[in-house]
Amino acid sequence: MAETLPVELLIPCDPQYLSVVRLVVAGIGGRAGLTIDDIDDLKVAVSEACTNTIDHAFADGEGAPQPATIMIRFAPRQGELRIEVEDVGQGFDPDRVPVRPDQPPSLEGGLGLYLIHQLTDSVEVQSAPGSGTKVIMTKRAAR
Amino acid sequence: MKVQTKTEDDWLAVLSVSGEMDAFTAPEFRNCLDETLEKGIAWILVDLGEVEYIDSVALGILIGSAKCVTERGGGLAVVCNRTNVLRVFDISGTRELLNVCQAESESRRLLEQQRTATVNSSAPEGGQ
Repeated sequence: MAETLPVELLIPCDPQYLSVVRLVVAGIGGRAGLTIDDIDDLKVAVSEACTNTIDHAFADGEGAPQPATIMIRFAPRQGELRIEVEDVGQGFDPDRVPVRPDQPPSLEGGLGLYLIHQLTDSVEVQSAPGSGTKVIMTKRAAR
Repeated sequence: MKVQTKTEDDWLAVLSVSGEMDAFTAPEFRNCLDETLEKGIAWILVDLGEVEYIDSVALGILIGSAKCVTERGGGLAVVCNRTNVLRVFDISGTRELLNVCQAESESRRLLEQQRTATVNSSAPEGGQ
């Protein structure tokens, strides 16, 4: 598949739309040549990123846009799918996120980001206090 | 997601879950678990045989419940045989903690063994 324009999905910041996001991951992942196992991994990773946004991005309610939304961008290429999950919420300092990809988190919390790291080939978190958050994940097809 | 709860022999609650467990649906599962715990039942078997998807929210609820029943001298076991769901237990390192078994008979046997061990280690009078 030649590189094409990304597919954009804008959802309300509401957990009832998580299943919709997973359906789109499956559809576009198949077009990008990912295996069923790859797609299962990516469904968890993207869903976790959206859940983090729902839980934290607009947590204090201050300055939250009405309605609060999450933008998910899918950029499929042959054998690879890059997905961005972006919000315009309160953001955070990435240096203070207590998760390292090679280290299992405490079972009390922080599982979501750990799973994202474990289930994708690369993860980048762009955020700053007051500037929203963007999580960029890439999954390559298993060979 | 659907949850069916039944109590067996006044000591074991079996929660059979089907569908997808995520941040939207998991609270209903939490309510069912809370209702079970409120009845004073300390042994819980969670059958995820018909669950197609699970994420960290559902994992967190299972972990919290496992801790709760353990503190009461009980136990929790999970039945799961779907590869994608088992993978989430494996990656999160919770397979052992949650007593994840691939067959219902296996998890039932595990809880019965744990219960027998607990009863045997208690004072014979059972009083204070």
